[in-house]
Amino acid sequence: MAGKGGATPATYSPSPTTNRKKKPPIFKEDWVRPDGRGFHQCRPAFFRTGAVNAASGSAYAEFGNTKVIVSVFGPRESKKAMMYSDIGRLNCNVSFTTFATPIRGQGSDHKEYCAMLHKALEGAIILETFPKTTVDVFALVLESSGSDLPVVISCASLALADAGIMMYDIVASVSVSCFNKNLVIDPILEEEIGQDGSLMITCMPSRYEITQLTVTGEWSTTKINEGMQLCLDACAKLAKIMRSCLKEVASDSQE
Amino acid sequence: MREIQLPLSQTQKVRLQKALEQLESLSTKVNSDASVIIADSIHVNHEDGVLKGHGTADLNGEVVATLCGVVERVNKLVYVRALRSRYKPEVGDIVIGRVVEVAQKRWRLEINYNQDAVLLLSSMNMPDGVQRRRTAVDELNMRCIFEENDVVCAEVRGFQHDGLHLQARSRKYGKLNRGQLLTVPPYLVKRQKQHFHHLEEFGIDLILGCNGFIWVGEHVEAKDDMIEDQVSQSDSQVLFPNKNCVSLEEQEKNYTILETRKYISRAANAVRVLSTLGFNITLEIIKGIIDLSLSMNLDIHDMLGSEFCVLVAEKEAERRSSMKKRR
Repeated sequence: MAGKGGATPATYSPSPTTNRKKKPPIFKEDWVRPDGRGFHQCRPAFFRTGAVNAASGSAYAEFGNTKVIVSVFGPRESKKAMMYSDIGRLNCNVSFTTFATPIRGQGSDHKEYCAMLHKALEGAIILETFPKTTVDVFALVLESSGSDLPVVISCASLALADAGIMMYDIVASVSVSCFNKNLVIDPILEEEIGQDGSLMITCMPSRYEITQLTVTGEWSTTKINEGMQLCLDACAKLAKIMRSCLKEVASDSQE
Repeated sequence: MREIQLPLSQTQKVRLQKALEQLESLSTKVNSDASVIIADSIHVNHEDGVLKGHGTADLNGEVVATLCGVVERVNKLVYVRALRSRYKPEVGDIVIGRVVEVAQKRWRLEINYNQDAVLLLSSMNMPDGVQRRRTAVDELNMRCIFEENDVVCAEVRGFQHDGLHLQARSRKYGKLNRGQLLTVPPYLVKRQKQHFHHLEEFGIDLILGCNGFIWVGEHVEAKDDMIEDQVSQSDSQVLFPNKNCVSLEEQEKNYTILETRKYISRAANAVRVLSTLGFNITLEIIKGIIDLSLSMNLDIHDMLGSEFCVLVAEKEAERRSSMKKRR
């Protein structure tokens, strides 16, 4: 208001270069991933249960720079608005901290994550064991560095196990990105920006069952088969890490 | 070693580990193979006709665990005892709850269970102490007895179609005032003959709720049943009691002396220490911890420090070993 009329523009517009999606130079023979991993190599994973004291169960997960914390509350009585149900109800919520993404507040775009998390976990939980009640799963992404949803799903399944919710099996999730002819497992944020397509598999490794399969972009049948096989192998390895984390807690508590 | 989240020095870590190892050796040995996690297969002899219990499922003719916990076998029954589970009520349990809603002829209480518990107006002693039918006036006056966020002590009456029912038909039950409510994992409170304790030397009451809610408060004398009949008062006073007009005498009655407040805080911190260490919570151990803190001339806030926690673990190991020797 007090400023000079013609000196400053009325609105702020970002420079066009910042918004442009830069694709990595995949056509070069010597292209390496930004973090130096091989195409079929996952980021180092770290899991820990019992991160939140107030919750019935909780877990913390780190995949490279992607950091997630999940709290599980319940089973607790469903709200009055809920009609009688023979099976339990799963309520999922995924939120991002304002500082999770490089551009502040960008994480709030992912509205569909809640529904996808619900779909992924629903098949693994034995909902018949807690009729008329609700289990609340709250996931908070502390730092987003690509492949956020698979990390959230894996961490949430660990938190549910920690809460003593009956499950058929723990749920492991991995995603794959497609760059022309190359398949890249567990992509980071830079790779996700320039991908031609993505494939995410959520499975129960001990039962050889898939609870969710999400495909975006153009994929040939052979590429999908190759990507799925890659994901399933990674899920089996990830499940081993998750199981060892739970085993550690179980043996400690037994003592 | 059990994972205890305390900022311990190297010496304290060694001492704590030693104490916990001693406690482990004193406790009955548990089969390490018994601990299972989700989707682990449980070895059973199918020829014996096994009964699959809680925490188990069938997968391709194999028994698998659906919980993280310890496999228990009772005759032919195989089940998994969960490591972390919510409170499972049994009839007769003493529980402490917080009023979450005042409904029609009932209060709903949060008692750390899957569903809110129900305390019916008819299952509650009236303030006037007279046994009679509950009228519409009583229903209107429900908030004079308990209102939202009040802490209430009651007993599990049974399971009905609309949830878990409680009762508070004795003078020892009812609203809890002037104290601290603590929350611990329910498995730390074992069912005992006596859950109401009066620590005479400290002038405090201790209620160990089976649901993991523990009340530490000032000792309250049991009131006389015959209190002035509220119904005889004017309707306006009954329906809208003026809570703001409190006489000086009443204020004096409600005042808790500093010494008692200190003892309440000490007892509360003793419970917190036991919860941190994962020890069962009993009156003897709590008394022992309070005495230990007093003998060391320890400040109340210092009771939550790492050094005191290690000391408590060592004392508990000593106590259990001496008990075993006596046997």
